[in-house]
Amino acid sequence: MRKSLFLVRANLRKAKGQTMAEIVLILLAAGMMNLWLMLSFDYKQNFDRWHQRLNAEHVTACVENSGAALGQSAATDDAGERKETISEILKKDARTSEFCMDDVMCAEGKITYNGGEAASNFIMMKKGDAEKRLVGKAEILEDGGLEEGIYLPMIYKTGDIAVGKPVELTIGNHKASYLVCGFFNSVMAGSHNCSMFEILMTDQAYQDLEGKGYAAGAVLVSVRISDKAESEEFENMLNHEISARYPGTVLASNSYALVSQSRYISQMICSGVISAMAFFVLLIVLAVVSSNIIHYIQENMKNLGVWKALGYQSRQLMGMLLLQFLGITLFASLLGVLLSWLLFPGINEMMVSQTGIPYKIHILPAPLCVTLAVLSGAVALTVWLSARRIRKIPPIDALRQGIQTHSFRRNHVPLDKTRLPLQLALSLKTTLSGMKYNLTICVTMLVLSLILVFSGLMLENVIVDITPFLNLVAGETADVCININADAKTEFLQEMEMDSRVEKVYLYHSQIVGHVGGAELVAAICDDFSQVNNKEVVIEGRFPEFDNEAAVAAKYARDHGYGIGDEIRLNLGEREADYIISGFTQISNNLGKDCLLTQEGFERMGRLSNLSYYINLSKDAKADDFNQEIIRRLGENVNKTQNMLKVIYAMSTVYISLMKVIVAAILFLSITIIAFVMYLLVRAMLGSKKKEYGILKSLGFTTPQLMVQTALSFMPAVTGSAALGLLASCFVINPLTAVFLRNLGIVTCTFHIPVGFVIASGLGLVLFAFGAACLMSFRIRKIEPRSLLTNE
Amino acid sequence: MKKVIYKTENLSKSFSSGGAMQHVLKNIDLELYQGDFTVIMGASGAGKSTLLYALSGMDTPTLGAITFGGQVISNLNQDGLSIFRREHCGFVFQQIYLIDSMSVLDNVLCAGLLASKDKKALLRRARELFQAVGISEETQRKFPTQISGGEAQRVGIVRALINSPEILFADEPTGALNSKTGLDVLDTLTKFNEQGQSVVMVTHDMRSARRGSRILYLKDGAILGECNLGRYVRGDEKRHKKLSAFLVEMGW
Repeated sequence: MRKSLFLVRANLRKAKGQTMAEIVLILLAAGMMNLWLMLSFDYKQNFDRWHQRLNAEHVTACVENSGAALGQSAATDDAGERKETISEILKKDARTSEFCMDDVMCAEGKITYNGGEAASNFIMMKKGDAEKRLVGKAEILEDGGLEEGIYLPMIYKTGDIAVGKPVELTIGNHKASYLVCGFFNSVMAGSHNCSMFEILMTDQAYQDLEGKGYAAGAVLVSVRISDKAESEEFENMLNHEISARYPGTVLASNSYALVSQSRYISQMICSGVISAMAFFVLLIVLAVVSSNIIHYIQENMKNLGVWKALGYQSRQLMGMLLLQFLGITLFASLLGVLLSWLLFPGINEMMVSQTGIPYKIHILPAPLCVTLAVLSGAVALTVWLSARRIRKIPPIDALRQGIQTHSFRRNHVPLDKTRLPLQLALSLKTTLSGMKYNLTICVTMLVLSLILVFSGLMLENVIVDITPFLNLVAGETADVCININADAKTEFLQEMEMDSRVEKVYLYHSQIVGHVGGAELVAAICDDFSQVNNKEVVIEGRFPEFDNEAAVAAKYARDHGYGIGDEIRLNLGEREADYIISGFTQISNNLGKDCLLTQEGFERMGRLSNLSYYINLSKDAKADDFNQEIIRRLGENVNKTQNMLKVIYAMSTVYISLMKVIVAAILFLSITIIAFVMYLLVRAMLGSKKKEYGILKSLGFTTPQLMVQTALSFMPAVTGSAALGLLASCFVINPLTAVFLRNLGIVTCTFHIPVGFVIASGLGLVLFAFGAACLMSFRIRKIEPRSLLTNE
Repeated sequence: MKKVIYKTENLSKSFSSGGAMQHVLKNIDLELYQGDFTVIMGASGAGKSTLLYALSGMDTPTLGAITFGGQVISNLNQDGLSIFRREHCGFVFQQIYLIDSMSVLDNVLCAGLLASKDKKALLRRARELFQAVGISEETQRKFPTQISGGEAQRVGIVRALINSPEILFADEPTGALNSKTGLDVLDTLTKFNEQGQSVVMVTHDMRSARRGSRILYLKDGAILGECNLGRYVRGDEKRHKKLSAFLVEMGW
């Protein structure tokens, strides 16, 4: 061991620059890997920690008090009786561990968010009640101590919404302004991504709202079950039972399975990208390590021979390399982990602003250990595989430099025959005789090409124009959405027909239905699917046309073994109906749990008491004005209006800002990686060709000529692999992105590939690599021809 | 009257060694003439190689001036010196220094194409030179590691002469060769000198020095003496005695 340490020290002293570059590359890989692991492991656990801390529910349901129980009139129904019935249902099910029910008010509503609007089901309850709940309590995280006002979930704490500031809510069709008293955390109802979110009110504010009648009275049911893995099935059962007893009851519900994923969409995207980057950089690191070892063996053949002659065994020499690289890896990995910890507060702030769940930063030993283990393991394996040839070197051959670095079987680019200019011909000779350099370049450029195409994809489909991304995430979009009472359908459609601002109007209503024997699905019910704006929702097969057809989420269908043409049984309350699967859909908002039904198809299970219509307006029309006018004209028949562009804006801002950070990080990393890889390669080349450069200088080659020659020698591999990488990446990037987004229910991506960006970035990549190689080759000026004469 | 191609004035070169200055060349005033076969001799550490580096533009002097054909080369920068070497000098190394990754022919053309764009003329000249030094076409296609030391040094001479340099520098050209191949190399250099090629050779080998027309003897960084032997004639005993006497006088 002491002998090996001695050799390691000698090696490190000789190659300080190379060691530094290796440290930087390993540091980047380790930093990203640790970030990814922290985001992946602990963020999910953070959700569970909060879930446990607040004794949060696994299934939430909000049951409006308006519907009447079967056999009863609405007048005789009351909240107490409803609670009793639900209590019976829950007690009857063995999976129920504990539950809690509270009187609340509920209404569909909107709140300003990220400069747009977030729409969801508002659950209004008294602050005191929410804090005392046995199951699913809310925890106040910031309290301004104001006497009257509301408390909002943490996710809405933005620049515009702060303690002491007024906030305007749209509750149903009514606007109401409140002072923000503070912010709270509710795990299951703390974001518009949960299908409902709580608003806690001071007693006075609650009574005032109750008096205004903007929202309906409801019962909030929070249930903890014995096995959280069954939360979806339990939610389905609960909805089914309640709907069966109280038909027509407006019901909002969610489950642990849905919320634990939906609140982490940004985090999943972010950690997916970081993990890919980490592994790509690791791949480059391994290529560089392998190339360096091969180079080291060639350059130190004589020394290896001397050491062997002195009695060192092959395994000791290999052990020395292993020790050297493992030492570097561990040191650089620790620095990388440290860097990731330094970056983490910033990333955490960004993530928390999108999940709405506070995260307390703490040291995470597991990601640290995994990072160190993965990097050390991968580097150790690479070192061992690359250094094996030391065993085959007899000391006498090594001392005589018997193992040559060049293959002399072929004279690449004979100068007497080639028409190429001398510089280019010499560069090409170097290229063709230095395959180990080419291999490292190819790996680096292929990886960077893929990363660049991905950033181009995000730039084009998210940052510049978010429509393709929204089509994937949000499903159907239009200018406005108006929800009306079903009885007012004819009057509404007449109004629309007469209104010159309306370009297109079609029914597009979301309703939760059950899959018999499966989970709940969000059904999009449309009267004419040929009218929808986003035809890309159906990725295979076609939209349903007849009342016995349904298109089902691709992920759900695959998970349950359904194919196109198979039958699926859906239910709404007690009524069930079979549908033939006409196609597969993907809408990530529903995390792969959705289906499409024609209006007639849905009516085989039940009737809609209210209808949501999507409307495309003419360019000059203003959505807010239009909505106000419709409310004025149709009065109480309008349940809800939504300026969808505002909702889209609020939603897209989150993703755009996330993608901007990701793309900027990718570009920075790409530049850093190229610079360091070129440094390592040029350095290795200068080391191995020092004598050659000296000879060429003595023959009259100038430093700039040799610099260009060196840089040019990398260009065939750089250009070829960049071109190949970019081309191949264009084909694989959509399937690969779909793999990353699989957890969001995405199985196919059809993002537009920005050809211009790809070509420009390819050129940029090549030019930057050339520039970097030229710059790094500047060390050639230090090679003096007189060193040949002194045999230096 | 011989034409002066090189002139040095107060040529000095010093190195810093362990904090102390070591003066390797001391105020050398020298003229080199066209067509001469100048041999620089001296004991180890006398400064003969340093003088060769300075003259050939491989190194720059600490003080003094070197003029080549009226052009002061001692104040040129590294790239200027590269161009100077390319256009005016040829160099034969003791360790030969062919580029291992290039064929024999490419080693020669690599130097030739740097100074000349006329590839046809260059190939013609290369063929003539190869023929003159006895390198076959088959050998020209081989790589340096596949040929003998003597062949390699003759290739080195062809490379040095490919651009028809005004002066050919040779640093112990037979130092790494056995006596038979060393003799072949000396014959080659002599032959080219007889054809008018100016040669400056550093050696500590008396057999090699005998080929020179003018012998300079260096001691402690200064020219201690010089001896004019005239054109080389094989088997000329008088010439041999004259050189021996000169070297004895110099303390050899």
